[in-house]
Amino acid sequence: MLAITNLHVAIEDKPVLRGLDLNIGTGEVHAIMGPNGSGKSTLAHVLAGREGYEISAGEVLYEGADLLSLAPEERAHRGIFLGMQYPVELPGVNNMVFMREAVNAGRRARGEPELDSVAFLQQVREQARQLELDETLLKRNVNAGFSGGEKKRNEILQMAMLQPKLAILDETDSGLDIDALRVIAGGVNALRSPQRSILLITHYQRLLDYIQPDYVHVLAEGRIVRSGDRKLALELEEKGYGWITGEAAA
Amino acid sequence: MISIGQQREWAQQLVTASADAVDAAQPDWMAAARAAAVQALATLPLLDRKQEAWRYTRIDALLEQHFLPADAAPAVPAEALNGCLLPAFDAWRLVFANGRFMPWMSDLHDLPAGVQLRSLREALTTDAGPLARWFGQMSRHEGHVFTALNTALANDGVYLNIENGVELERPIEVIYFNQCADTPLLLQPRSLVVLESAARATLVERFISPDQSLYFHNNLSEIVLGAGAALGHYRLQDESRSAFHLGSLYLSQQQQSRYQGTTLAFGGRWARTEYNTTFSEAGAECVLNGLYTVGDRQLNDFHLDVRHTVPGCTSREQFKGVLYGKGRAVFDGRILVEKQAQHSDAVLTNDNLVLSRDAEVDTKPQLEIHADDVKCSHGTTVGQIDPQQLYYLRSRGIDADTARRMLCLGFAGEVLDTIDVQVLRELAAGRLVEILGTAAAAVE
Repeated sequence: MLAITNLHVAIEDKPVLRGLDLNIGTGEVHAIMGPNGSGKSTLAHVLAGREGYEISAGEVLYEGADLLSLAPEERAHRGIFLGMQYPVELPGVNNMVFMREAVNAGRRARGEPELDSVAFLQQVREQARQLELDETLLKRNVNAGFSGGEKKRNEILQMAMLQPKLAILDETDSGLDIDALRVIAGGVNALRSPQRSILLITHYQRLLDYIQPDYVHVLAEGRIVRSGDRKLALELEEKGYGWITGEAAA
Repeated sequence: MISIGQQREWAQQLVTASADAVDAAQPDWMAAARAAAVQALATLPLLDRKQEAWRYTRIDALLEQHFLPADAAPAVPAEALNGCLLPAFDAWRLVFANGRFMPWMSDLHDLPAGVQLRSLREALTTDAGPLARWFGQMSRHEGHVFTALNTALANDGVYLNIENGVELERPIEVIYFNQCADTPLLLQPRSLVVLESAARATLVERFISPDQSLYFHNNLSEIVLGAGAALGHYRLQDESRSAFHLGSLYLSQQQQSRYQGTTLAFGGRWARTEYNTTFSEAGAECVLNGLYTVGDRQLNDFHLDVRHTVPGCTSREQFKGVLYGKGRAVFDGRILVEKQAQHSDAVLTNDNLVLSRDAEVDTKPQLEIHADDVKCSHGTTVGQIDPQQLYYLRSRGIDADTARRMLCLGFAGEVLDTIDVQVLRELAAGRLVEILGTAAAAVE
């Protein structure tokens, strides 16, 4: 599904990713862990198409196509979703109107019929109920005045409505209490399927107790320095990042 | 550059051209007010950019035009007039076409007792009482050339008087429709709205004209709110890109009265709105909201002069602008709190969303506070669309044009939401979507 080869990315001439390789197969759940400043969020935003990154080398193939040449909205239409670490507030933009526009923009691009308002409303209410998201938040402006936990639930709600093929979740667990984490993990697990791939980006292994990954990678200084299965995350938790980053530098 | 001689000659020509049109049957006090205004036109100073209120607003293009009095106007075809009605709007209605009152388009049936609502011309022959008492009382001390011109040549307008304690359950709609392709017209509606103690009403004004219509709509309204009275006043200016528009509002509020006003200014080549509010007694509240959009060859100019002259009054001013192409806007908001006006509460904001490099806004909020126990603040912003917000929308599959339009609408929506009349709010939202469609597509 996703093949990243030798990716080099800089921000304002400062290198952040330095030859990153990563392959994610269809239906797989991968977790990327790493210390602060290792390039985790940069990777997420490069995949989603944010501007302001200098990509000096490497290639990203998504379903065999050159991902980096696509506009952010085209990536979304093809099934990429990024749950952001800091969801953006959109004052004056109604959450429901926003989600319906997003869902139907994707359907139009794929030549599918648009969801009418009744069908949309039914789906969004059902999803909100499962995520224990207060329904009044649907009527409010997107993320405006939401608490940290509400913003993250709203991200997962969008993911559930958009039904992506590749979901990238950037620090979705940060700032959540244990109950919220459980609910959000439930929302992610409900989306697990043999047709859908998930990339979890996290600083702590706690999230991985709830969403069990097939593969775990450690990102340090812009490169994947180690890959393994779940045990790697547990080992990291025990020994700290210094264990691997020190080894990589040596 | 315009000289004082040119300005006076321009005004004098208009007075001469209109001499025959002024109704001979007017009462003596009206004739005296007109004569005084004609006198003032010969002595008022030049409006130029040395005056703070006109610093960013040139009147050269306006004074280059040779306007004809409204009475010389061709009749407006009935189909054109019918097209501007809102069938779903259940309201009492007065329609003015090229300055003339159109009784057959209007609906003044079944007004409750204690409500006088009619055209100014008709009122001058029937309602001498409140009209004579209030006419010119709010505006006379602050006249500039256009105020004086309106008084000298007022051709018609709205007269509304609501007696003590009467509440109007339906809104009043006033439509000013102008269509004059080949004859530049001078239209001078003059209105007086008096709500006596505890009276309540909603007033909607729409200024509309098909494109290419060239005229100067110099309207002046005086509004008096008695103790505990409440007026919702919503104005939609959506005129031809060739039109000149000056709307002057003079508001006087007695104790515990409430004025809630929203002006949406979308059209015109040169458009200016002046709000003048004076609190005459304690405990009154004045809320002014505004939204302007300007593109190529458009100027929109707002001037607020809110005077807290007595203690314990509240004012809220929220104005927003969306600028694109080579659009220009001016916002000059002044709040004066006099020494004796303790416990005044005033908040003034002006936010501008600038979508192009070539657009320009000159914004100047002014708080002038002479009392020491007050709650006053102001804030101004001029910004572009936030790239993070745009990215967020696009990352969800929404294309860049639609995303920009959604963000502009979101920005402007806060002002639309202050309109308490659903039909008008929806009409305005629809027009805004059309305007922003053009604006958002022109970005980059």
